[in-house]
Amino acid sequence: MKRTILLLLLVLALSLVGPVLAQSADFTLSPSEINIGTLYNGATLAVQGSVPEGSQVVVRFIGSPEEMVMKQKGKALGLLWMNMNTLHFSGVPTVCLVDSSAPLDGLGALGASLSLDGLAQGIHVAPSSPADQDLVAEMLKLKRSEGLYRQSSGGVTLGQVQDGQQAFQLALAVPSRLSAGTYSVEVLAMKDGQVAARAVKPVEAHLTGIPSFLADLAFNHAIWYGVLSAILAILGGLAIGLVFQSKEAH
Amino acid sequence: MSIPMELYLPIAGNSVNIAAVFGLGGAVGLLSGIFGVGGGFLMTPLLIMMGIPPTIAAATDANQIVGASTSGTLAHLRLGNVDVKMGFLLLIGGVLGGTVGVEIIKILRQMGNADFLINITYVLMLGLVGGYMFVESLQSMRKAKASQPQDPARHSKASAFARFSASLPWQMDFTRSGVRMSPLLPLFLGTMVGVLSAIMGVGGGFIMVPVMVYLLRMPMHVVVGTSLFQILFTCVNVTVMQSISNHTVDFILALILLVGSSLGAQIGAKIGKKMHGDQLKILLASLVLVMMFKILYQLLATPDILLAQVGGH
Repeated sequence: MKRTILLLLLVLALSLVGPVLAQSADFTLSPSEINIGTLYNGATLAVQGSVPEGSQVVVRFIGSPEEMVMKQKGKALGLLWMNMNTLHFSGVPTVCLVDSSAPLDGLGALGASLSLDGLAQGIHVAPSSPADQDLVAEMLKLKRSEGLYRQSSGGVTLGQVQDGQQAFQLALAVPSRLSAGTYSVEVLAMKDGQVAARAVKPVEAHLTGIPSFLADLAFNHAIWYGVLSAILAILGGLAIGLVFQSKEAH
Repeated sequence: MSIPMELYLPIAGNSVNIAAVFGLGGAVGLLSGIFGVGGGFLMTPLLIMMGIPPTIAAATDANQIVGASTSGTLAHLRLGNVDVKMGFLLLIGGVLGGTVGVEIIKILRQMGNADFLINITYVLMLGLVGGYMFVESLQSMRKAKASQPQDPARHSKASAFARFSASLPWQMDFTRSGVRMSPLLPLFLGTMVGVLSAIMGVGGGFIMVPVMVYLLRMPMHVVVGTSLFQILFTCVNVTVMQSISNHTVDFILALILLVGSSLGAQIGAKIGKKMHGDQLKILLASLVLVMMFKILYQLLATPDILLAQVGGH
């Protein structure tokens, strides 16, 4: 909860800073929130807006940073791979999707810091060891393999220039592996290796319909949920068993 | 396509393809119906591969097994394959043993390197049980071909154990299984299996089935039915406990899996009925050995990612 508030404050602060810059970035999101219903299988957010003329655009979809407890795999007796030390990772965003109008590698040091590898700087491992860098790299690899971290370029297309502002758009594909919560979409205009303008907007992901009902039951009425799950499973098994019996009778 | 194939799972926090989950349930249910094992060792890793977090995969599998074993038990009851008295004794033992096992695991974790011990126990137990069953049933199949059919479960080493068993008090008949023994024996063996399965984090079907065949001398077909009957109760317990303490049961996922696996279990029970006891044993032994090699491979091969989520088994 604390983190969500912090994130919101950050978003607010950044959106206040935005207009102060000489040239501004602005964008709209459609839809402006994500509804996770029964048939949710990922969503596409249309990001449209404008940035100062002559800049490249980087768009990031980021979840709030969280703490993760992991086991480090290591060799026991020099032969067998085992889960060994317990590691606490902090500052790991739940989701991070990055897309840009030009490859991030070509956008200088700042571009690199916006890439997935740039996230490494914000992630800390406890207990600390000389292998921290490698461990964080493994974490990024894990998140990538889960489809929660993704980086591509060329998805952002630049459009017409009008009054010194350049239009851009992106179809942002949000993964199906998404939990309810607050996420943020960040647009950065990069010019001469610097951030020329920046804008951030929060995106809420809500559970609706059956998922919302079940999640409420599971987390707020856990005993009922457990007992009902067991009873319904028994009834399901019985029903199928009886169907088979009646088929045999014929 | 107009029929929605993807469904969002609120607890797992991901969406899955309905057909893929249904097929997975069916395949595992088939095995469970034939051999009287839960099939968790197959289901849980496959669910993780589909993008379900490990802790949720394991707990949801238990919920699913409740349905599959209800259906399987019903099918076996009809075939006269369930020894209810024996099942209850093993169950009581299993619950006692499970409680002890959980405490042992806590102590092991405090001492560190519990996972190492668990995995080694796993490989040794599976190798031992699978190898023994395999050789034994191969031998008795040969014997059956060479001479007139004998009781396949009998072998030379048994006599000392049989004498010990006969010396225990309160001897009683277990008519379904066609054996006479003291209730202390299944109670004790159930406890041992309970301890082991709690340590290894599995349902215990793989250990319970050989124990019933070789130590309790029950006929293979009754073993399968009785094992399913006992698994049913164990998994009801796990489902409720996991829901309350960890919120890791995804009922929607379990529901799709269980429709598939209950159907599979029904078909499995019929296939099992048509097979000879030794054939069943040798197939189960092969399955146990395959599982052992899989774990051994995981221990020896360099993993893709050098991090693991906590709680997955």
